[in-house]
Amino acid sequence: MAQGKQEKQIDLLQGTLDLLILKAVSLGPLHGYGVLLRIQQLSGEELVIQQGSLYPALYRLEHQGAIASEWGESENNRRAKYYKLTRAGRERLAGETQKWNRMAGIIGSILRASPEGV
Amino acid sequence: MSLRSFAGRNLHQLHSWFGAIFRRDELEERMDTELACHLEILTSDLIQSGLTPEEAARRARIALGPMLNHKEEMRASLGLLAWDQLWGDVRYALRVLRKNPGFTAIAATSLALAIGANTTIFSVARQVLYQRLAVPSPSSLRLLAWTGTSEHVAVHHVHGDYNLLPGGLVTSTVFSYPVYQQLRAQNRVLGDLIAFRETGMNAIIGEHAERVLAEMVSANYYRELGVQPELGRSIGATDDTVASRPVAVISDAFWDREFGRSLAILGQSIKLNNTPVIIVGVNPRGFTGAKSTIPTETPDVTVPLALQPVLSPSNDGSSWLTDPAPWWVNILGRLRNGGNDATAQAALAAQLNAAVRATMPLRKGEVIPRLVIRDGSRGLFEQEQIFAKPLSVLSLLVGMVLLLACANIANLMLARAAQREHEMSVRIALGAGRRRILRQMLLESLVLAFIGGSIGLAIGYFGRLAFPELTEAAWQRSKLPVQFDWPVFAFTVLITLFTGIVFGIAPALAAVRVEVNEGLKEGARTVSHRRKGMGGRALVGLQIVLSTVLVVGGGLFIRTLARLDEINPGFNTHDLLITQLALPQSRYPAGTDIALHRRLEQAIAAIPGVKSVAPAMESYLSDDLSDTDFLAQGEPYDPSNNDIEPYNVVGVNFFQTLGIPIIAGRSFGPEDTATSPRVAIINQRLVKTRFPGQNALGKTFTIGGHNRDGHESTLTKDAIQIVGICDDTLYSNLREQPPPQFFVPYVQQAQIGGMTYEIRIRVKPEAVLPSLRRTVQVINPDIPLINLRTQDEQIEADLQQERLFVTLTSGFGLLALILASVGIYGLMAYSVAQRTNEFGIRLALGAAPRRLMTIVLRESAWISVAGIAVGLATAFLLARFLKSTLYGIAPYDPLTLLSATTLLLGVALGASWIPALRAAKMDPMQALRSE
Repeated sequence: MAQGKQEKQIDLLQGTLDLLILKAVSLGPLHGYGVLLRIQQLSGEELVIQQGSLYPALYRLEHQGAIASEWGESENNRRAKYYKLTRAGRERLAGETQKWNRMAGIIGSILRASPEGV
Repeated sequence: MSLRSFAGRNLHQLHSWFGAIFRRDELEERMDTELACHLEILTSDLIQSGLTPEEAARRARIALGPMLNHKEEMRASLGLLAWDQLWGDVRYALRVLRKNPGFTAIAATSLALAIGANTTIFSVARQVLYQRLAVPSPSSLRLLAWTGTSEHVAVHHVHGDYNLLPGGLVTSTVFSYPVYQQLRAQNRVLGDLIAFRETGMNAIIGEHAERVLAEMVSANYYRELGVQPELGRSIGATDDTVASRPVAVISDAFWDREFGRSLAILGQSIKLNNTPVIIVGVNPRGFTGAKSTIPTETPDVTVPLALQPVLSPSNDGSSWLTDPAPWWVNILGRLRNGGNDATAQAALAAQLNAAVRATMPLRKGEVIPRLVIRDGSRGLFEQEQIFAKPLSVLSLLVGMVLLLACANIANLMLARAAQREHEMSVRIALGAGRRRILRQMLLESLVLAFIGGSIGLAIGYFGRLAFPELTEAAWQRSKLPVQFDWPVFAFTVLITLFTGIVFGIAPALAAVRVEVNEGLKEGARTVSHRRKGMGGRALVGLQIVLSTVLVVGGGLFIRTLARLDEINPGFNTHDLLITQLALPQSRYPAGTDIALHRRLEQAIAAIPGVKSVAPAMESYLSDDLSDTDFLAQGEPYDPSNNDIEPYNVVGVNFFQTLGIPIIAGRSFGPEDTATSPRVAIINQRLVKTRFPGQNALGKTFTIGGHNRDGHESTLTKDAIQIVGICDDTLYSNLREQPPPQFFVPYVQQAQIGGMTYEIRIRVKPEAVLPSLRRTVQVINPDIPLINLRTQDEQIEADLQQERLFVTLTSGFGLLALILASVGIYGLMAYSVAQRTNEFGIRLALGAAPRRLMTIVLRESAWISVAGIAVGLATAFLLARFLKSTLYGIAPYDPLTLLSATTLLLGVALGASWIPALRAAKMDPMQALRSE
């Protein structure tokens, strides 16, 4: 049940959707719904993404040139828009990943601090 | 981020943005497809997980959320939000404008006409008055000129411009060739002096003859001006000697017209005044010679000055290159870097003084002309005298029209803002952003300005093509091409936009600043409306002022044209064909030209449809006039006396052909021949001025031959007997009084050269033209028919400028009246609507409806009378400036002023009649209930 699932899932951190989309499409071209599924799958069904916020993010990234789109056929034979990473997107993904890892490390080390360490 | 990737990203976004805007339908469709696809896969996934199709679809829709919001956010991701809002505002503005079609049409049309007319007239003015010669650094060019007292100056034979200045002074820009040579040798203050002279010549190109404009130039002309031919070579030092082979450089237009831009033209020969000259080069396109900046005055051929004695010899065969008497060449020189006009003028003045003393005999009492330096960047700049004043008058008037159109927009905007104050308050109360409201009101005026500007652009673009048609004579070959002047157009549009913004934003600011509560409360409205009413009244007042000026201007020109149309030139101008036949002097030496004209006269008279024909030295009303010394029998010769009289040398049938009545004595006839006694006919005015109270018939006089420096004209020195007295006729133009005149037959002259043929016809001109051309060609194929036209066409051409003025100014005046009446109507209608409540109370208290009407009409009358008074005062001040463009009426012509006042008052009262009637027909009960 969707209702039940939501209780154990975590809401997305502000501003990380773009990064996750870039990562998702870096593994192979995907349509919008596919992006959603892949992120949920990669998170081990732990993350829930507001389906409505996905498309504005995709359009924004495409507008900025980080991803490009192509029309293709979906698994149920419908016209679907497939997104893939561009060169600029790849650079951005690498940069943001690095930034994220640094930030996570810093935050982590702060949170690990114990009274003795200060 | 590197600059390059930053730029690349922005470029990508710009590209994506434009793609989204220009393929908007596609974008919308894609968004729909994409979301639908999402929904479908989601649904089928849910069905697979065991839900019923209906339940799956419901869940999927809930999971995806509201599509409209998503799409709006997707559009926002592409940066389309601002655009969509703007576009929405534009559409709203268009809808508002469409809802008031009358106002919109009048505002946009008046703007379009104002912008179009301004662009056209300012383009023409800029081109005619500000264009400089097409040579490198024209601003360093200086034109030499001289001034002297007209009575005593030592120069007696000026073949060029000769303008009277106040105080008995004259000024001219021509010098004798020997003086030029001396000045050039001694000049140290200017660059090497160049000499040039423009003149008409008969050219024969292959088989056909035509009249061309030739510029004779000194050898250093091309070098000093810095002009390179676009083909071949220029004229240099080796060409400017009497022994040189005659060469010519032709103009680009001539090359195109006569030779189809053939490259084989170099080395080809054409005949100029029957002398073969070799074409050695082609002037660059756009080079109009040194004399003028007007493209139509570009010399067709440029030849060395050394050819003057061969190409256009003087009547007595002497060379003007050595003769100090005729002053005929123009001189230009470049001011050196760091040079100073005053120093240069002082030095050259001393050199001119020496040169005159060295080259010509000075009589007692004669003064040497004083040299002055003028700006030479526009050549002789002759158009200044003709066009500067009319064009500045037109520019001023057309500028007023623009102001009026702008005032109209402002008025419209103010009224609109006042009307919508309530709406604004509601919108603000409902949460609309003040900026959004401001932007939206601004857009309305900009949309209006944009519509007006686009139509104005079209009017300006085509107006420029029409302008030359309206200003130049129908028979002239080339018309002045007016370039479309983008800077002028941009300037005009900017003014309009500025007005739109200022007058759109002022009421908008006032509207958004209104306290919402006050705006919604009806009582407060009266206060703010009264304040805006003042602005409206001031604008309408300004419109009436401008309309008055324009209507008075239009009236003055209409009256001028009417006066000119009434003029009786003293001869029958209908069915009269005129053409000039110029003979190359080198081919027809003295005597043979007379014989040729006799043959031509007889041959033309024999053409079917020709009633009679008479050649004349000067044709009338063509701005030409010849005069010479006239000494009545018994009068002593006094060199200090100005005894010059206008005259004409004519064929024996002249009076009969033109229909000039002979009042006493006889006309010329076949008995007057080369060997018979010399005879003349004089007009009544000459009788009055030179033979007062006497019977002039039978008296004799002498002409020419007693010029102060011994250089005589071609006329005879023998005594001439007056055999007839004719009625007065106009001579050079319509605007002058008939001058005194005498006539002598050409058969009794030693030499006459070219003449203008006056041909009275019985049939339409087209019926005669082919046989006329053939007849002349049979006698001599090398004589072109120059300026072939009818006398009526000539008069029409003389009045062209006046007609243009009447057309334009009465058009401006009419537009002004329409705009003013719209303004008054709007203001009064608004005022009546505002005072509905007040009028209701008045009616309820027993006021007569007539009384209400009077109140309304009085209000508009006050504004109108004030506006008209200021307008008349302005017109009165400006009209003095117009004086030289008017004819037959005073600048303060009472009839014009009175008609203008009546017309404006009538229009003002007429425009406020409907609102006044509305006030009078009010139902008191409804009026009282109205808010």
